[in-house]
Amino acid sequence: MLAIETGDLTKRFADRVAVDAVNLRVPSAGVFGFLGPNGAGKTTTIRMLLGLIRPDGGAVKLFGENLSEHRLGLMRRVGALVESPSLYPHLTGRENLEVTRRLLGAERTLIDRALDIVRLVKDAGRPVREYSLGMRQRLGLALALLNRPDLLILDEPTNGLDPAGIHEMRDLIRRLPVEFGITVFLSSHLLSEVEQIANHIAIVHRGRLLFQGMLDDLRARQERHVAIGVTDHEAALNCLKDAKFQVEAGTDGRLVLPGASEEDAIRANAVLVERGIGVFHLALSRTSLEDIFLAMTNEPATEDRAL
Amino acid sequence: MNSLLRALHAEVFKLRRTLAFRMVFVTPALVALLQFFIGLNQRKGAPTAGQLRETVFQNILSVWAIFMLPLFITLETALLTGIEHGERQWKHLLALPLPRHVYFLAKFVVAALLAGAGTLVLCVYALVVGFVLVRTSAGLPPGPPPEFGQLFLSGLKVWVAAWLIVAIHSWVSLRWSSFTLALGTGVGGTFFALFAASAKIGKYYPWLLPVNALNLVGGEPRDRLALLLGGLGGALVVALGSLEFSRKDGDEPQTSVSRRFVVGAVAVGLAVAVLAMFLQSRR
Repeated sequence: MLAIETGDLTKRFADRVAVDAVNLRVPSAGVFGFLGPNGAGKTTTIRMLLGLIRPDGGAVKLFGENLSEHRLGLMRRVGALVESPSLYPHLTGRENLEVTRRLLGAERTLIDRALDIVRLVKDAGRPVREYSLGMRQRLGLALALLNRPDLLILDEPTNGLDPAGIHEMRDLIRRLPVEFGITVFLSSHLLSEVEQIANHIAIVHRGRLLFQGMLDDLRARQERHVAIGVTDHEAALNCLKDAKFQVEAGTDGRLVLPGASEEDAIRANAVLVERGIGVFHLALSRTSLEDIFLAMTNEPATEDRAL
Repeated sequence: MNSLLRALHAEVFKLRRTLAFRMVFVTPALVALLQFFIGLNQRKGAPTAGQLRETVFQNILSVWAIFMLPLFITLETALLTGIEHGERQWKHLLALPLPRHVYFLAKFVVAALLAGAGTLVLCVYALVVGFVLVRTSAGLPPGPPPEFGQLFLSGLKVWVAAWLIVAIHSWVSLRWSSFTLALGTGVGGTFFALFAASAKIGKYYPWLLPVNALNLVGGEPRDRLALLLGGLGGALVVALGSLEFSRKDGDEPQTSVSRRFVVGAVAVGLAVAVLAMFLQSRR
């Protein structure tokens, strides 16, 4: 069953379309990365998934049920951390959880469980105003986990964290589907961040969905190429063209054979050496996922790019 | 009902270590202390100790009702909602499985309870001030016995009549995150009350209802109308406010007042004033 399903989800603000007919399909269990540059419409989408704002068009289904009709029941199965955590600085970490526990009417033991998951048991008695950013973020995650949700929606949970905090948060998120069977919907503007923990991703840009699928599907879009470093650039370029290679001048002074295979690399090397041109670098590589992501999000969204 | 109780349970818990809770004891103390020092000077002119005590009771309650309670409500409602606006709590609270209107109702109920607690503390302080003044006025004849029941009954009436102000302030401070706007509404409302007190229209003015409940201004009994307007008006504003809060799209309060709202508010205010003048002229 799909944990999240949206149908032509749309939201407009004044004259701007923030979310434009987005059709998300988030499978249950695992981590789903929701990627896009800042201002792409990620937070607006998340606020609609949580019923915080009403869509101007389309619908949201969580676990197969319509959100607008069953919001209260569905929200019992959802935990969320939207942007920065919402905490009461004058209360301790434990007291912050107690406020939410009272609102949920949940069992008292869930507080210890949530503190344990985010490893905050030791600091639970300290006022939140004394917490570091990383601790506040973990407490925010504990608030989201308090009611033992089936779906956890996290909006840029590593924002503002130092490398150690990012590593800790990433480790925590990775554990959730494995140890607790939770579906994690994680938004980020960093592919490198999502790439390490998500198995499914969606890329959104200017409110429109550009890609949705397994991370491996995106990897399949990676193009191979061969980069060659030579002693005589001009001669090598002409020589390879004569040998019917598709060759381009690279940005770093090297020659690039787009779409080339291992056999192409061997053959090109042989041709160049035969002509007396020195080859000091020969590498077969793929375009990085980051390059694909940037290429997608640097161009205007068009209908035919969406999968 | 269950979700409202849960929200109230959480609201009360949030008061821990807050200024809002401490002010319940501090604000009435300011009034009581002021009247204590005034009472020290009144001891010589008082015919009996009992009359001195009654005068002190009345003075403490009237200063509270006309001036300090409306400002206290302004501060309390702004502080209560400020803890939600400050750390952008609404995106967390409104994503929980509770109907939106319970947050509005819970804020109103807690603000009303704090106003009631402040008034109760004031009555206790009044008893202490009265007791100390009488004990330190050795030469005065005893006079009538203290009317404790009357003091607390008057306090109760002041509190009920203040519900409309609590409701108005709950709505203003929940709708707009601006502390300045909440404070401006309270100070403006209280300041205008000083001018409206003796006018006939003063019996309908929300910020005068607590003092009207004591029958101290206007020259005619106003207590019943004050209780009716305070109680029912408060309930009406709470009903409308919670309806608006639950229908609102979004999780962020407004930070400033829109021009359209100002024009609308001025138009409604003018319409009410014209209607009031028309009703007055027909009498």
